[in-house]
Amino acid sequence: MEKIMIVEDDPKLAEHLRQFIAKYGYEPVVAKDFEQVIELFHQEQPQLVLLDINLPMFDGYYWCRQIRLVSICPVIFISARTGEMDQVMALENGGDDFITKPFHPDIVMAKIRSQLRRAYGAYAAKQAERVLETAGLQLFPERFELRFHEQTVSLTKKETDILESLMERHPRVAGREDLLEKLWDEQTFVDENTLNVNMARVRKKLQELGIEQAVETVRGAGYRLRTTWEEPDA
Amino acid sequence: MRLFLKEHALLIVVQLIQFLVIFAVYWMGGSRKLLLGLYSIFLGVFFLACYLIYHYMSRSRFYKKLCTELADMEAVLEPSGRAPVAVALDQVLKDQYRLYTKQITEAEERQEGHLEFMDRWVHQMKTPLSVIELTAQNLDEPDSSSLREETEQLQRGLNTVLYMARLRTIEKDFHIKPVELSKLIQEVNMEHRRYYIRSGVYPQFSESRPGITVETDEKWLFFILSQLIYNAVKYSAGKSDHIQLSVYERGGFAILEVSDEGIGIPSADRKRIYHKFFTGSNGRKYRESTGMGLYLVKEVCTYLGHGIEMESEVSKGTVFRIVFKPSQNLTGM
Repeated sequence: MEKIMIVEDDPKLAEHLRQFIAKYGYEPVVAKDFEQVIELFHQEQPQLVLLDINLPMFDGYYWCRQIRLVSICPVIFISARTGEMDQVMALENGGDDFITKPFHPDIVMAKIRSQLRRAYGAYAAKQAERVLETAGLQLFPERFELRFHEQTVSLTKKETDILESLMERHPRVAGREDLLEKLWDEQTFVDENTLNVNMARVRKKLQELGIEQAVETVRGAGYRLRTTWEEPDA
Repeated sequence: MRLFLKEHALLIVVQLIQFLVIFAVYWMGGSRKLLLGLYSIFLGVFFLACYLIYHYMSRSRFYKKLCTELADMEAVLEPSGRAPVAVALDQVLKDQYRLYTKQITEAEERQEGHLEFMDRWVHQMKTPLSVIELTAQNLDEPDSSSLREETEQLQRGLNTVLYMARLRTIEKDFHIKPVELSKLIQEVNMEHRRYYIRSGVYPQFSESRPGITVETDEKWLFFILSQLIYNAVKYSAGKSDHIQLSVYERGGFAILEVSDEGIGIPSADRKRIYHKFFTGSNGRKYRESTGMGLYLVKEVCTYLGHGIEMESEVSKGTVFRIVFKPSQNLTGM
């Protein structure tokens, strides 16, 4: 399991980063002592570092140069600054990528994954495939597959996105805006209709697995996954 | 010369009266030698003329300086001659210049400090904003979406402040390079997707031919387009469910068009939409109008050398066009 070191002086933000890094199956390490970042680096030997630029004592550029003296592991800067100069500085000081605050968790994860892949190769990473499970219903977001009772159906990208949101949010409501945001991709513009159509397809796919009435529409808010099915015996 | 004569007019008159009076006293005293009298007057006039000519010659620069308009601050420091008045004048001007430059430097430093403070402050606010946003994602609906609507608004505000501060130093903050308009539009749409979704207004895109590319500053054009889209969506919400983004060419010019079928701009307001702090009657009806958006758009367009056009009809919609000159249109090169 890859170790990811988080160097961020705002404790709450660091905690958020820690949580979703852990959720995606990596091992997060949070730096607490900002005088001894490099010591922690030596001790933990992380595969990737998330580095804030504005830190007490020394800034992120300094720590990145220190890391570069001993390691070529990927370093992703996290900063509030959006200027081109700041990004140039980050790259010149040995950074591999740059994320600006406020950021979306998905973007952070995408950048972490792409840096890990670049540095260690797609297959070198022995990271287990991500599986979401809700009461026996299993979603494999990387394979676009849904499994229930030994039965598997394949999904489209958009259906997978919808199911991923529903299962991640379970038992809470997955917001309409969030679902649409997730479906929005760069090439084609989505609209309300896209969500309705794809939600209908998701319901159909669930029916194929013998699951009825599992997606409940919550007016004015979004959709909720309800475990209407029998959990298979483990 | 004229100033010199004006200055010395009284002296000349007094002298002439004096000559006449002396001549009169001399005449009344019984002496009737006309030629001698006239000769002495001539001598008097001669010396007066000599004095005036010398005086003018030695102070010509001084008078010239007094008469010419100042071209710049530094012109004041040019020496105006060696005559005592000129030296004294130079001294006074130099003192004044020093005092003013000191004041200006202080004011500039204050402003610089203020901008620096704004810049840092805005960036510092982004960390708490990130935390609020991430925390909000874990809340239940509809609180989660509603809270994030507010943080997005905060973020937009902070960005406007940043761009406003940067506008003062835009000369230093310029990177002109080729930008493909369709790609930029995609990025802007991606950035504002939640805003579209929340408003229930969706973008449609068309281009007359693929790959229309212009020479501009990407970051500033991103900002301009964001502002125009933001307005288009805001004034369409609830009336129309889409805005149209188009890229096309018009006789060598490249055009980026944002058109909506929203409420339109009343004709009385149209002339003033680019004024600072002008919100117009639409601005008063909708929340969150600062009157800064279009002002900034206009300013930045002027700096970048792009034209901006607007057409609007009340309750039919509004069209904004950014016009790139043929020299800025790199398509097909």
